[in-house]
Amino acid sequence: MTEVPGEGRHELLAAMNQSILDGDDEAADRLAREALAARIEPLEAIDRGFTPGLREVGRLFEDGEYFLPELVTAAQAMQAAMAVLRPVLGEQASERTLGRVVIGTVPGDIHDIGKTLVGTLLAANGFEVSDEGVDVPIERFVERARELDADLVCASALLTTTMAMQRDLVNAVRSAGLRARVLVGGAPVNQAWAEEIGADGYAENAAAAVDLARRTVPP
Amino acid sequence: MTGEELVAHLADEVLLLDGGMGTLLMAMGLASGAASETWNLEHPERVVEAHRRFVAAGSEVVHTNTFGGSPVKLAAAGLEGRCREVNGAAVRLAREAAFGTGTLVAGDVGPTGVFLAPVGQATEELYERAFREQVGALAEAGVDLISIETMYDLREALAAVRAARAETSGLPILASMTFEARRRGYFTMMGDRIVPSLRALADAGADVVGFNCSVGSEVMVGMVREARDELELPLLAQPNAGQPRAGSRGLLYDATPERFAGDVARMVEAGARVVGGCCGTDPDFIRAIRGALDSAPASESAR
Repeated sequence: MTEVPGEGRHELLAAMNQSILDGDDEAADRLAREALAARIEPLEAIDRGFTPGLREVGRLFEDGEYFLPELVTAAQAMQAAMAVLRPVLGEQASERTLGRVVIGTVPGDIHDIGKTLVGTLLAANGFEVSDEGVDVPIERFVERARELDADLVCASALLTTTMAMQRDLVNAVRSAGLRARVLVGGAPVNQAWAEEIGADGYAENAAAAVDLARRTVPP
Repeated sequence: MTGEELVAHLADEVLLLDGGMGTLLMAMGLASGAASETWNLEHPERVVEAHRRFVAAGSEVVHTNTFGGSPVKLAAAGLEGRCREVNGAAVRLAREAAFGTGTLVAGDVGPTGVFLAPVGQATEELYERAFREQVGALAEAGVDLISIETMYDLREALAAVRAARAETSGLPILASMTFEARRRGYFTMMGDRIVPSLRALADAGADVVGFNCSVGSEVMVGMVREARDELELPLLAQPNAGQPRAGSRGLLYDATPERFAGDVARMVEAGARVVGGCCGTDPDFIRAIRGALDSAPASESAR
């Protein structure tokens, strides 16, 4: 098989971008395979094909053009592409980690979606993500952050009744002496709350969370 | 009272609901993270006390403590298979508080917490089965109306309205969704817009439609105005007490009862006929609304 030059390569990358915007996981999977067959570097396919689509989705979400269903299907399409490309990345992949992240929903709260979405987008953007699920005990967050030497601990709370757990988490991470920064999110959470509980950052949505994570973890 | 009778009543009168039951129960000691429905069984006297405080403040309708009372939500909170028991107990507690006061009891129905594809694996059939079980239990225990609240997906809200129609014989149905202000207008997190959503809910059989939660009173005034311009339906508005923030003794909300009540009066001027509060609105907020309504001139749009 021969390398795709110029125009064809450009079209393939544009199609990758579009597959994420359309949330079309079958197209993303097919295009990732086509890219490999055409000897496009997996890194190029990710950086110049799929990831720009994901960024655009984030922008459309912030603008109120896209909503939760579009965000979820875009993340699924990104996962489909990454499932094809990641094994081929091999050594390149480990060098590319932007940071190690432990993420979960706080104790007493079983809301899954926001947290999963943030985890998926962080992974798709090059973070190494350990998703601990929902109703995660504070000790579990701390233990995992220590094991992984995590850069970030991200905690979601979707209820006004469970938000207070984020404060307990911040305190627990600090008193355990971990270097991890703590980021918080969730429907009732805002910047003022993050500041009051001493968290290192707050993001309003999954797209903003990726930007925040990039800014928070030093290169 | 039937739905038609409620609508006729609303042509002349504004109906005052209660405030945020979950946040009041938290202020009364409900643990962070615990499902408030557990208190219907474990601390019934405190649930009655919470209702009584709203009744004393002027609420003409109290909501049963069953926001998370669908069998799906109860199972997630460790109360699997106890839908009838939990909802029945909640109705009896609200009835006890309302006894002799003329206060109506609304059976509260919140979202199941599970999502349709692509976000989740739920189905509309599952929604309808769950809501029929809950509404059936509320109706059997004797509520005066059904109040469907905080819906973010029109399809789930419609399943709840259909279930309420199927399980009650003509009880009034209030149906309210939760919208946020985005750059291009007001949307639910699923992307549903105000006018088509409220119209669809009314077409499915809701008697009163509107908004609750997510935003403070200032933002909700704009939502009422948008709906008013396009819809000839009785509108409901229950905003939050502003935005939550951390305080030394738990969460505080940044709105004062006076400012909130002023906004509610503006919503009534804009056409809202059923008003109350959501998260963070305690009996002081209801008392302030009562005062504002009683001193306000007749609504410009009362018909």
